[in-house]
Amino acid sequence: MDETLGSRRFMHEQSLVLESTQRQIVELLPRLRRLARVLAGQPADADDLVQVTVERALGARSQWRPGTRLDSWMFRIMKNAWIDETRARRRRGAVLAPEEEGDKVGDAGARAVEARLEAAEVERAIARLPQEQRLAVALVLVEGLSYKEAAGVLEVPEGTLTSRLVRGRQALLAELGGANAG
Amino acid sequence: MPDDERLMAYVDGELTASERATFEQRLDADPELRRRLAGQQELRRRLAAAFDPILEEPPPLRLTLAAQAANAPGRSRRPVQWAAMAACLALGVIVGRTALPQRGPLTTQAGALVAQGRLASALDQRLASEGGAIRAGVSFRSADGRYCRTFQSEPDKLAGVACRQPRGWVASTVTAWSAPAQQAGYRTAGSETPPPVLAAVDAMIAGEPLDAAGERAARDRHWRP
Repeated sequence: MDETLGSRRFMHEQSLVLESTQRQIVELLPRLRRLARVLAGQPADADDLVQVTVERALGARSQWRPGTRLDSWMFRIMKNAWIDETRARRRRGAVLAPEEEGDKVGDAGARAVEARLEAAEVERAIARLPQEQRLAVALVLVEGLSYKEAAGVLEVPEGTLTSRLVRGRQALLAELGGANAG
Repeated sequence: MPDDERLMAYVDGELTASERATFEQRLDADPELRRRLAGQQELRRRLAAAFDPILEEPPPLRLTLAAQAANAPGRSRRPVQWAAMAACLALGVIVGRTALPQRGPLTTQAGALVAQGRLASALDQRLASEGGAIRAGVSFRSADGRYCRTFQSEPDKLAGVACRQPRGWVASTVTAWSAPAQQAGYRTAGSETPPPVLAAVDAMIAGEPLDAAGERAARDRHWRP
């Protein structure tokens, strides 16, 4: 009897832990979508990447240690999912080139059109970066992680992260900045 | 630390206070360094302008549902294939075939498709967690404040969305549907619901789908707004 009660209580506690993890994941969705957009480019591909990330995270949730950062842990899962996906695409011979964005502009106001075109230029420049540099730029410059946190997500030494970051930035500045490159 | 890296670390807030002070003295004395700093700051600004608006977008329903999956998977799984699912049928076909004898799941009332019989009682009573041949999937509030639910009916081979109005459950989207082959014990509302129905929910929903407690509370209030 006691055993049944104890095991029921355990199950109940487990389900509360699951619910609170799920709530935190729902709260993280906007940031996961932003990171995925930097990595995958196309919005539909990006949301597919988020979905795979969420499913893998829930499947592996026993590996997450409460008290550590859920965002960094999920970014790492997304990084691995993205690397798997790009390998699979390369095997299928799919082209990774970004699409032209002209059709997205629609009939928004002139200011919005300008912002959209500028964003499209940035997205194209990012899409041309090698994967490793894109990951470094995405985590530090877009997500705002510290070097230490970003190196942890990428599972590389901090020096490796910073050299990828330097090269990624130089490439972006050369592409976007013109005279300001440096 | 090479120059490029020091400039980068300054922009990224990675220098210690004393390193910052030393670097700022150099900045004061070196217009070329200031020009490069401005370039780095402009790059950060452009990245934020391009990607930060995504934070304001409501995430698509399928992602929220994936995160809320009640019975989370033990391992990664590909999304259910919907190849077997027929294309969305014109409402008239379903009504014509099933509702004319007035015994099908849906009937027309003043131009609206209203659930009846087993489908109506499933929408009234059944919680998403309960399963069954006629299942309720996602429950949510629409922009006009009504409670709406997705449903899948194995006997009727259709799925859709219906909102609770005073005269009953009025279906706004109905599509032909048959149950996918069982996936090793793992189901979520997101993977069960056909894409046309999910798209309809995305267009109708205000806020997030109801969680299990919200669904139960709404049912106990008889789905009155």
